[in-house]
Amino acid sequence: MAVLAPPPEPVVAAAATGGWRRRLSGRRTRFGLLNATPVVVYLLVLFVYPIFSTLLLSLKDEDGGFTLHWYADALSGTSLDILLITLRISAETSAISLVVGFLLAYWITRLRPIWAGLVMLVVVVPHFISALVRTYGWIILLGDHGLVNETLVALHVPGAPFQLLYNELGVVIGTTSVMLPYTVLLLYAVMRGVDRGLIAAAASMGAGRLVTFFRVYLPLVAPGLVNAGILSFILCLGYYLTPALMGGPKQTMVASLIDEQVMKNNQWNGASALGVILLLLTFAGLLSLRLVKSVSEAAKNRGGA
Amino acid sequence: MSELHVMSEKQSPPTVASPVSGAGKPLSVTKVRKTYGAMTAVDEVSMEIGAGEFVTFLGSSGSGKTTTLMMIAGFVEPESGSIVVGGRDVTRLAPQKRGLGFVFQQYLLFPHMTVSENVAFPLQLRGLSKQEIRTRVGETLEMAGLSRFARRRPRELSGGQQQRVALCRALVYRPPVILMDEPLGALDKKLRDQLQTEIKRIQRELGLTVIYVTHDQEEALVLSDRIAVMRDGRIDQFDTPQELFERPRTPFVADFLGAANFLPGTVESDDAVRLDTGGVLRIRRHDLASGVRARAAVQPGRLAVCAPEDGFCTGIVETVTYVGTLVRVTIRPDGADTCVRLEIPAGRAPLMGDRVGLTADPRDVSVFDGTAG
Amino acid sequence: MIGLRDSVAGRLVLGVISLLVLVFLGLPIVLILVTSFGSDALGSFPPESWTLTWYQQLFADGSKWPAALALSATVAALTTVFSVVLGMMAAIALVRSDLPLRSAVYGLVLAPLVIPQVVVALGLFLLFEPAAMLGSPIAIALGHTVLATPIAVMILMATLKGIDERLEDAAASMGAGRLTIARRITFPLAAPGVIAAAIFSFITSFDEFFISQFLSSVDTITLPVQVFNVLQFDVDPSVTAVAALLIAVALVALGLVALLRRFGTGKQGGLLPVETGVPAGGEPK
Repeated sequence: MAVLAPPPEPVVAAAATGGWRRRLSGRRTRFGLLNATPVVVYLLVLFVYPIFSTLLLSLKDEDGGFTLHWYADALSGTSLDILLITLRISAETSAISLVVGFLLAYWITRLRPIWAGLVMLVVVVPHFISALVRTYGWIILLGDHGLVNETLVALHVPGAPFQLLYNELGVVIGTTSVMLPYTVLLLYAVMRGVDRGLIAAAASMGAGRLVTFFRVYLPLVAPGLVNAGILSFILCLGYYLTPALMGGPKQTMVASLIDEQVMKNNQWNGASALGVILLLLTFAGLLSLRLVKSVSEAAKNRGGA
Repeated sequence: MSELHVMSEKQSPPTVASPVSGAGKPLSVTKVRKTYGAMTAVDEVSMEIGAGEFVTFLGSSGSGKTTTLMMIAGFVEPESGSIVVGGRDVTRLAPQKRGLGFVFQQYLLFPHMTVSENVAFPLQLRGLSKQEIRTRVGETLEMAGLSRFARRRPRELSGGQQQRVALCRALVYRPPVILMDEPLGALDKKLRDQLQTEIKRIQRELGLTVIYVTHDQEEALVLSDRIAVMRDGRIDQFDTPQELFERPRTPFVADFLGAANFLPGTVESDDAVRLDTGGVLRIRRHDLASGVRARAAVQPGRLAVCAPEDGFCTGIVETVTYVGTLVRVTIRPDGADTCVRLEIPAGRAPLMGDRVGLTADPRDVSVFDGTAG
Repeated sequence: MIGLRDSVAGRLVLGVISLLVLVFLGLPIVLILVTSFGSDALGSFPPESWTLTWYQQLFADGSKWPAALALSATVAALTTVFSVVLGMMAAIALVRSDLPLRSAVYGLVLAPLVIPQVVVALGLFLLFEPAAMLGSPIAIALGHTVLATPIAVMILMATLKGIDERLEDAAASMGAGRLTIARRITFPLAAPGVIAAAIFSFITSFDEFFISQFLSSVDTITLPVQVFNVLQFDVDPSVTAVAALLIAVALVALGLVALLRRFGTGKQGGLLPVETGVPAGGEPK
């Protein structure tokens, strides 16, 4: 017998030029436009337009003429220092989140499903609790008489109590605790996708633990690592709460500066210029994400061909 | 088509004379056509289906069987041609206005309703009284042996049970025609056999008119009163299983249904073909002219082994495979490149390497023009 | 990483580090919940004695908290309505239609998640200040909707994708019209997703700080802004109780979503929007 086991016929072919189909697709298009319009208009008015007016404002001088001096101001003196501090703290935070998140996410992939679920709960639940509240928790914990210092003193750690608040250490601890759940979720998703068989295959070929790790596992999860690193870096850049509450004057970040310029100094143009710089940094980050993605996809395709 | 507008919306009784052909039939399809881009999915297909008939569209992927079914259901609109259900032209009607029943391959039970709610749904749409709905749902589930699952949710049922529920849901409101799109395609072999029997039983008991789509020849043969063998958007042959099997009209049908052996040769007379391997094969009467290149087709089950000198050709037995009570034998005829396949009772199996002859009853041999298909 | 799996020491080290990280994540939250019942709300842990004073003080005469709580609830409710309606329409357009420029629309909808909030807040400030709308609960809700909509869209898109569109075909084949299909099939199946989207929109707004801060006036201060002000300027020990309440609200919300997932029939991609992949202008499959 001629055994035929074809897949079901493509009833609704993608390419449709038939009159009826075209009419239907016209209806589907109209239906889509009808439903998409409110959200698009909404975001154009309350999201795109405001950002655009920020851009315009940052290029206007007091008389309404074109100027770049707000950018010159933003990129010099204390303002520049603040930008650099922002970049540094963001880099530190994302690096620590990445390393710690990697370890935790890896540990979770090795757990039995029920335990993995529970641990993920501990990771995810804080993510949905106000960062403000968590920051407050850290302020209580890290104070001179907070739980951390009391414990260290009780253990007779030399030098205790330490200054853990209102310095860079405090800020990095606080922001890391906010970014970590993100990193863990992203990395866990990537790690779960790694084919365990590949690791076993490498080992079966005689690859040692380190070789397997660096030559097989790491390249497989590398796109995820880059992704998580860049994303947490971007999110840190514009972060306000934790640095404002847990940092000292030397840990002022760009967002705090913008807030201060608007609320205290009524200096909207300068604030706008800072905002645009922040936006550009974000775009640069997103662009590099795209780049990494397309490069790794190209590599994958070449490997597959 | 203007006559149609004066016709009643209700199904007309067959006695009413009507200018529209097949007005009294549950379903008549006339020259429907559907293209997707450059591909013609269905090319002027026509057919009439009688009340209580079980009709199968059989074909491989891309033969147009599902598209035809979808046009009857109303999910795909034909570019030309017409579809008349019970005397009412439904060609341009939306699916919900056609009043047909449909059983999908993926069951598509409503996950948020229980089994009985699923079956009650089409009755509720028709505004039946609660009492009536309860009775009918109960009867239908009882008939399908599903009564004890009435309160379950679809996801708590096995695939076979789910498809039974889907079947109940499609027939509970007694549509004039029930369409089934490979309903058993997602089930394993054993369950498929079991459900085939059950579908056939219910169809007979209730006198349902069913159009069934499948790519499985065996399934089509088991279930159908008539089978439309489809290929490249057309119907090759629309006949009873026996006719298709015994008198295939095209080589494709002979091959698709029976996996026929094709033996090339030249027509010698109106009941014989001289094979390229040498011998003369007696065949069923045909209308090909003498001297024409042709192919004789014989099903594996209709060939027999005999002494070398008695057969229309001789050959060496290459393989012998036991499949239950039957034995599959391949024989390479002298001077041929391809083997001939036989299915013969186990007791009469030759041994590998034997030199044997082949015979066939002339009534079992069809002949086709050598250049066709 | 067969290495760490194989060596006992490696596993032990990894386990210890991971547990410490979990403590790191959870401790601030547990600490607040516990200290809010302690006699010394800003200090020692575990507390020396227990009290409900801080909770009572929240509602004492002259307390600013009830007004802030009421405002936050109002704003969050408005935001929920706005973002669920906008989000539902957007999700339908993105999942169930042939939308021209689909990926551009999708990118626009998700963009507020990655654009720094301070920039969004500054832009909204520049928009509402000339309109004399600073301090208006509506303005704050409109601002929060920008942030909540992407989350609602992601949840609702996952919900719609989880509903087999052919179920609607099945209903049509039995004679159900468009309205009946929407009422009897699509809506009941989408309901758990809609409720989840509403819950997440609500907590997004309820916890939001930056936009509220920029758009608030002296009279209209949301709960998070009030908490921030207290932490930065005053010392009001009852802030611990407020923080504990905020945690409780979030926990209840997450619990509700978990229940919905448990008993809901519609399949959903993931409990949390972040699980479906954080957008970077890209298209999660």
